[in-house]
Amino acid sequence: MNRARRDALVGYAFVGPFLLVYAAVLVVPLLMGIVISFNNADLFGRREWIGLANYAQALSDPVLRQAFFNTLTLTLLIVPPLTVIALLLALALNRNTRLAAVLRGVFFSSLVLSVTIVTLIWRFILTPDAGLVAVGLQAVGQPPIPFLSDPAYVIPALAVTTLWWSLGFPIMLFLAGLQQVPGDIYEAAALDGAGRWTVFRRITLPSIRRTLLLVVMLQTAAQLQIFGQAQLLTGGGPGGASRTIVLYIFEVSFGRWELGYATAIAELLFGMILLVTLLQYWFVTRQEGDRA
Amino acid sequence: MSETAPSSQRLSPLVTVLLLIGAGIMLMPMLWTLLLSFKSNAALMADSGSAFMPPWTLENYAAIFQGSLTTRWLINSLIVSTGSTIGVLVLSSLAGYGFARLDFPFRRTLFVIVLLGLAVPEQAVILPRHQLFAMLGLHNSYPGLILPSLTGAFGVFFMTQYFRAIPPELDEAALLDGASRLTLFWKVLLPLTWPAQATLGVFTFLGSWNDYWWPLISATTSDYFTLTVGLASAQMNYAQTSGLGFLMAQAVFASIPILVVYIAFQKQIVRAMAGTAVR
Amino acid sequence: MSGLELIDVSKSYGATRVLDGVSLSIAPREFIAFLGPSGSGKSTLLRIIAGLETLDSGEVHLGGQRIDGLAPGARGIAMVFQHYALYPHMTVRENMAFGLINAKVPKDEIASRIAQAADILEIGSQLDKKPGQMSGGQRQRVAIGRAIVKQPRLFLLDEPLSNLDAALRSRTRVELAQLRNRVDAALIMVTHDQAEAMTLADRIVVMNDRRIQQVGTPAEVYARPANAFVARFVGSPAMAMLAGRVISGESGRLRVRLAGGAELQTAVAAAGIAADAPVEVGLRPEHVTLAPPGSGGIAATVELVERLGDRTFIYTRLAEGSEVIACAPGFSEVRPGDEVLLAIDAAAAHVFSADGTAHHPEASA
Repeated sequence: MNRARRDALVGYAFVGPFLLVYAAVLVVPLLMGIVISFNNADLFGRREWIGLANYAQALSDPVLRQAFFNTLTLTLLIVPPLTVIALLLALALNRNTRLAAVLRGVFFSSLVLSVTIVTLIWRFILTPDAGLVAVGLQAVGQPPIPFLSDPAYVIPALAVTTLWWSLGFPIMLFLAGLQQVPGDIYEAAALDGAGRWTVFRRITLPSIRRTLLLVVMLQTAAQLQIFGQAQLLTGGGPGGASRTIVLYIFEVSFGRWELGYATAIAELLFGMILLVTLLQYWFVTRQEGDRA
Repeated sequence: MSETAPSSQRLSPLVTVLLLIGAGIMLMPMLWTLLLSFKSNAALMADSGSAFMPPWTLENYAAIFQGSLTTRWLINSLIVSTGSTIGVLVLSSLAGYGFARLDFPFRRTLFVIVLLGLAVPEQAVILPRHQLFAMLGLHNSYPGLILPSLTGAFGVFFMTQYFRAIPPELDEAALLDGASRLTLFWKVLLPLTWPAQATLGVFTFLGSWNDYWWPLISATTSDYFTLTVGLASAQMNYAQTSGLGFLMAQAVFASIPILVVYIAFQKQIVRAMAGTAVR
Repeated sequence: MSGLELIDVSKSYGATRVLDGVSLSIAPREFIAFLGPSGSGKSTLLRIIAGLETLDSGEVHLGGQRIDGLAPGARGIAMVFQHYALYPHMTVRENMAFGLINAKVPKDEIASRIAQAADILEIGSQLDKKPGQMSGGQRQRVAIGRAIVKQPRLFLLDEPLSNLDAALRSRTRVELAQLRNRVDAALIMVTHDQAEAMTLADRIVVMNDRRIQQVGTPAEVYARPANAFVARFVGSPAMAMLAGRVISGESGRLRVRLAGGAELQTAVAAAGIAADAPVEVGLRPEHVTLAPPGSGGIAATVELVERLGDRTFIYTRLAEGSEVIACAPGFSEVRPGDEVLLAIDAAAAHVFSADGTAHHPEASA
């Protein structure tokens, strides 16, 4: 039919430009990556098919294992506190007063900073020779703590920095979620004599499950890919104590030029993120199914 | 848009105090940075604690404009972020309208393929993309820095949802008013998506402005550094640079444009997020 | 100059047929109501006329020109949408001008048409407002104004009163009646409200089950419904339907025994209906009254009493289970649960054969 054909052309004219870029800059590299990961490849175009050898190497690489555990520790140190703090702040700030509006602005503010600025700021808070913490400790007669060069402190220091930086977006999502809860539910609950805790447990929390899931999924995926903070603040040191998976990918590809191996690690990370996200999604939706 | 939460309740004094302490923790690092940026490098070398006391100076800011690359990086960042934002808005609006309102073969399949893109982390594509761009000679160029941000599936998803929420009666009224598909899109529907455009625009600008991983590996000559990469290199060379106060002035300087964008659009962002991001 | 002509229009969505061979002819300045329950196909038919849906087969002609292949904007048709569909970001003036600009009408012509429409609809002071700043009734007028300025050959009104509250509804009804006098065009209104259709339309097109059931003036549709569906759908409260069997055709008129045993001598011609055929007897409320105790009425139990002031509708149920609505003048004192006797004006009864075909009473000699 002539008309159907013209409709199809108009349709493709609208979605075509995006799909073209999408295919060229996302789909093609995605497929290229899978191929490269089966090759002994370097940055300059050398390719030699070696099957699963890169993956085998990854599984027995002690540096990768250390980076994996560092990343996992960071994720666990960041995601749960971040979620809880952001939710509490959103609950406290979800009201119409001027003070709440100002404080919302304050808590959102760090999210607009780039990782470079964040690490720049925190370097000169944490550094023992001129940092803000050191200045404070000095004022009360204590010796400075080398947060960024002591293996025991370096992971928590990165976690705190990331928490400070990442707080704004989850608060925003939670506030948006809370705004969606119809007010008459709260009025009904008040008429039923429900206390604050009951209202939170039985009404607020179930109403924002989806937001909660979204926040946890997004943050987990983000923190599993944590990179800039580690690269800029500690360079992965001391002795690899703060090397993350993506930092290792960066080192392998742009330091050692072993593109094939780096790509294989990236594919493993991709699989891991997909798996964790799907598990989280399944866990939450399964419970929803139980409820119904 | 209506206030639905129990917002009538006032904050209890305890919660207020806790919030203020929290706000202090949030602000302290920024104030510290601000203070350091107004101190001369020499004074800080002796004792960074002196930042809390005068004399303060503007010399670090003056230094930024004298022969440093910071202004060049700022311009690069502005070009890349603005280009990314315009590109994303144009592509997402066109595609969103197409997916929401037009009928063509494989529409559902294509939309699902786009949605799958939401699950692809940057790590899965960044290295081969670096190879691809090297082959095409796109590194150390503005297109090379802008193109990757145009693949964002979220923008298409977001705009599709937004177009779907507009009543189809409006399209029909416009068709009866003799509007062509293009007039309908341009004059009737697009103006209604302004809140979504603002939100998507701000987040795209922010994401592009703060992107680090891609420009780090794509822009290797300092002429094409964005601010994030440029400041990172300055930070790495901390020992060799002219000093702490100058670094901090750079940080403050680099944050100003993004703060302006953020403050200007804060209301739009929060409002549109309430409508669409959380369904 | 002819009006709208529909010839054998059919439409399916996939395997679901929504319109089945619809033909209809409308005069140039006629006011037509498409009346039917939801899902009857009336909205689809309207949208096919507008060009918002394509038809699978059949033809649509307007003013002697075949239009079913034309784009919606090229058909000379204006439509007032159920939810008005005003462009929220444009002022009232821009809303009205939009279609004219697309049609490349000269600027001063646009201005004068808008001024004229605004004058008629008394929205002259609102021209620079946006729809969001106006009340429902005002928006309705703007929607009508947007249609008027196009000077169409045909107006389509999709459930024009359904969004208005009761007070505004009756006022808008008057305005719609005035509208038809002001415009040189035919009007088609889609509605599921039979009172609206009866009040406004010159002719009513009753639709059900993908087909036109009857086309006729309000009086015809009410007094001589073409079939059981139309009989039940038009009229409020609805016509009661009592199952029965034909006994005989004495003196050429049907005699029917109801399921409960009572016999009715109708004024319906007996020709063509076999004795012992199962039929339904249709009774409008005004043909059923309360009989004084002890007279020979049919026993029934009162279930609901609807007092309208000047008359009272009494919803009753017969022993065998059928519902019958009676009408009493003034303010009746019966109450739900009361046992009453019903007097039936059998001469006014309609008879419907098992296939739904209607047989109407003949004027008594």
